[in-house]
This record gives sequence, structure tokens and C-alpha cells, in this order.
Amino acid sequence: MEATYIRRKNDGRINIRSGNKVDQVVRWTLILLTILTIVAFIFFNYAGLDLGSAITETANNLKVMFLEPALSHFNWGEATYQVGVTLGLAFLATIIGAIIAFFLSLMAATNLSNVWVSRIVRVFVAIIRAVPTVLWVLIFAIAAGLGSEAAILGMLFHSIAYLVKAFSEAFEEVDKGIFEALQATGANWWHIVKSGVLPSTFTYLLSWVFLRFEINFGVAVAMGAAAGAGGIGFDLFMASSFYFDLREVGFITYAILIIAFILEGFSTRLKSRYFPATSD
Amino acid sequence: MSLLKVEGLGKSYTSDIKILKNINFEIKAGEFVSIIGPSGAGKSTMLRCMNRMVEFNEGKIIFNNNDVGSLNKKELRKLRTSIGMVFQHYNLVPRLTVIENVLHGRFGYKTTMQGILGRYTEEEKERAFYLLEKLGIHEHAYKRCDQLSGGQQQRVGICRALIQEPKLVLCDEPIASLDPSSSKIIMDHLKSISTEMGITCLVNLHQVEVAQNYSDRIIGLNKGEIVFSGTSSELSEEQINKIYGTETKDLIMA
Ligand SMILES: Nc1ncnc2c1ncn2[C@@H]1O[C@H](COP(=O)(O)OP(=O)(O)OP(=O)(O)O)[C@@H](O)[C@H]1O
Ligand SMILES: [Mg+2]
Repeated sequence: MEATYIRRKNDGRINIRSGNKVDQVVRWTLILLTILTIVAFIFFNYAGLDLGSAITETANNLKVMFLEPALSHFNWGEATYQVGVTLGLAFLATIIGAIIAFFLSLMAATNLSNVWVSRIVRVFVAIIRAVPTVLWVLIFAIAAGLGSEAAILGMLFHSIAYLVKAFSEAFEEVDKGIFEALQATGANWWHIVKSGVLPSTFTYLLSWVFLRFEINFGVAVAMGAAAGAGGIGFDLFMASSFYFDLREVGFITYAILIIAFILEGFSTRLKSRYFPATSD
Repeated sequence: MSLLKVEGLGKSYTSDIKILKNINFEIKAGEFVSIIGPSGAGKSTMLRCMNRMVEFNEGKIIFNNNDVGSLNKKELRKLRTSIGMVFQHYNLVPRLTVIENVLHGRFGYKTTMQGILGRYTEEEKERAFYLLEKLGIHEHAYKRCDQLSGGQQQRVGICRALIQEPKLVLCDEPIASLDPSSSKIIMDHLKSISTEMGITCLVNLHQVEVAQNYSDRIIGLNKGEIVFSGTSSELSEEQINKIYGTETKDLIMA
């Protein structure tokens, strides 16, 4: 008599999936997305589209942009300064966001906080996260006017929400035994945070902050264009929509690309130098 | 005069099952007492009631003339400073150094600010090194704890408990994750803590022979009740059967 706890497929092979709801949901989501994509393409308005010339002209534009980059409306010094402004925006939003997020995530982590406080912070943060950064910037622009203040506030808001989720999940991974041992010595909550939680999670927190900085740099470029926050993004916006200067667009894109590479290299080096343990 | 007195202790996590039932015992200062019993008997739970890491529902625990059950949060912190704890999985902070982990044992004496700034006095640091030397791991003082072997980590755990200047050390299966030779080192250290320093040890053990070799007294626990309490020599085969609910020949003897 076959044991009933072994599940088999119709053809008699043993099933190793639990066959639970999650699998089902994932499968149906994938099917639905495929259908939606196909339907969307069918309903596009293709009138006036000459695919052949569209492709060659796009290729031509890209060639001008990326093979003949040049500055015409401002000079190197100005460009560097504007990149600095954008970096500054991203930096401010990330650092202030990280500090606030740290304290909020202590309240959100279920192993450090009371059930209700944790739930409230989580819901709150989830709502903030559900609204895209750009929208937050525009919302703050109502009060602060379009400009760097609104941009920083909006980016800050979203960064906090994003980092609270990441941080609190890192905190929840901390070994329960550490809490038990420190509590048993008579340590209070702050002692446990400082000596148990922080050392165990610091490298994760740092990686998340860097990741968010990279995101914020990208957002800051976009905000320069969309919300008049200044910086290289604004120049990009002017070059592309105002002067139609493809060569300048190409130059600015390269500048942004280089900064992104530098950031990446910097964060990798910082981590491998100060936290060799994370590379294992 | 007893250091620890437990009267009618009862504990249940859920309303339907009582994990501990009417536990009574007394321990004198400097005694080495082992608790043995099958898995799930409630050994860990009982040990954690002593410093209220687990809240008990019934009975009374008197430690050093304090009614443990009635203490408020602040008094409980103070009580915990005088009760050290050693764990099966050591429970050190792996990314910190040995010496930092040992000094964590001083938190009970610190204000929030002192703790956050990591302010330890020179005496505390001297004491930490003294203890590390006593347990033979002073060379590793500046290594990260995750670079140490299990036996070495457990010795760090013991140092952390001892720097609290405890009157009682609770050990929850301190040698269950160690090989026989490291186990012997750890048990010898625990024994010398009670004989040389006069610190009471209450140790959960899985190995009956180890308990017999080291303890002044053995408490046998089965399904939340004390079924044996006496010296090693009084622990007959029949008693062991009663504690584990099996024939001795069916047990793997360590
Ligand atoms: N936090 C908890 N919530 C609910 N039940 C628990 C909890 N902790 C322990 N128990 C239950 O209490 C009983 C006793 O557990 P305990 O850990 O004290 O046993 P033990 O004697 O230490 O066992 P072992 O030798 O395996 O460590 C077990 O049945 C366990 O399922
Ligand atoms: Mg146990």
C-alpha cells in the first residue's frame, strides 16, 4: 500500500512542489501578462508608421548622439558643476532618508518592536512606497513650488519608505539567540540595538544605502528635467526638448554614465576594504 | 541559607498543555546542579523561568532573597546582572571581536548612553582579559567570534557570563554541540567556577554520565515534573529509566 503522504503527478512521477496557492498565482500572473502584452501590441495605432525609415532615422539619431557628443550651450566647468548639483540632491535625499529610515525601521522590525507599532509603520511605509517618487515630488511641489526643495522632499519621502522596508527586513534576520543572550545579561533595548543588531546588519544597511543612492542619482536627473530641480537633468531636458541638440544630449548621457560607473566602483571598493566579510 | 528556592512553579504556553507542573527545589550557594530529562520535558523552559526570560504562571521563585516573579522591569534587569547564562549555540555576536563579546556581559550595569557609546572602564577591560586568560583563549581576544571553533566560542560565552559577576550561572545544554574533548574542557571550567569562585551552576544536560561525573546534585525531569532529585550515587539505573521512560540499555551512553 502506497503511503498517502507522497504526492504524484498524473503520470505517476513523484511531485516535489507543494502545489500551493503561491505556485498557482505565479503561473496565472505570467499567463495574464503574456496575454496583455500581445493584446497591447494589436491595439497600438500603427497609422503613419513607416517601420523602415523609423529604424534608420532612430539609428541615425543614436549615431549623432553617441558618436559625436559635444557641448554647445554650456562649457565643461558648468557641466561639472551641474553634475555636482545632481549628485548633491541625490546625496542629501539618501543620507537624511537613511538616518530617518534607521529609526523607523527599528519600530517596523517585528523582533524589536511592539506588534501594533510595527504594523502601523509597515502599512504607512507601504502606502508611501506605492506612489512613485515623481508623484511625491509633484505633490510636494504644491506646497514648496517646483524646484530642488520639492525634489529633495519627494525623493526623501520615497527613500525613507524604501529603506525602512529593506532595513527592517535585515533586522529581522538577526539571530534570536543574540537577543536572548544580551537580554539575559540585563542589557536594555538600546544596548541590544547598538551591540547586537547594528554590528550584525551594518554591511547590509550600507549596501542598501548605496543602492538607494544610485537610484536617487537617476531620479535626481529625471527630477531636474521634470520638476525644475536643476542639475544635469535640467540641462538634459533643455538640450533634448528645447534646443534639439542631439550632440549635447549624447554628451550629458555620457557624463551621467561615467558618474554611475564611478559610484559603482566606489561602493564596491568601500565594501571590500572595510567589510571583507560581506564578500564571502 | 539557599540561594535559589523554587516553590510550586508552573508554566503553560497555551491553555491546554502545562509544560511545568508543581516544581519544587532549593539550591545552595556554590552547588553544581544538573537537570536531566528527555527532549521536550521542559528543561530549557524551567531554566529560563529562573531569570524570567520566560514568564511563569504559577508558584514562586526566590533568588538571593528577591521574589523573582514580582520584580518590575528595572529590578528585573538588575536581577539578570547577577544571573549569567550560557547557551548551546553560544549566542555570540559573530561579527564582533571576542573581547567585545565578553564586555557585553557588563550591559546590565550600564546606562543607555554608556552602552551606546561603548564606554567600558579599564578595570572592566582588565577583568575581561583576566577571564579570557583563565579560560585559555586570551590569544584570540582580537579575533572575530565567527573565526573561533565551537569549543572556543563556548568559552567566550562563559567569560561573558562570568564578567557579570553572577551568583548563579544557568547553562542550557552547554556541550550539546561540542565534541567529547571540547565538552570535557567546558565541563571542567564550569565545575571550577562553582568550586573555586563559589558561583552556583544550574546546567541542563543530555548526557547522564556527564551529569553524574560533575554534579553535586541531579534533578530528573519528565513531562514537566520532577521525578528524581538526589546525588549522583543515588541515581540508579531504575531512576534513569523513570526519568527517560525507557530501559537504560536502550539509551546511548555518552
Ligand atoms: N515559545 C514556546 N511556545 C510554545 N510552546 C513552547 C515554547 N517553547 C517551548 N515550548 C514547548 O514546551 C515544551 C518543553 O520545551 P523545552 O524546550 O523546555 O524542552 P527541553 O526539555 O529543553 O527539550 P530539549 O532537551 O529538546 O531541549 C515542548 O513541548 C515545547 O514544544
Ligand atoms: Mg532545551
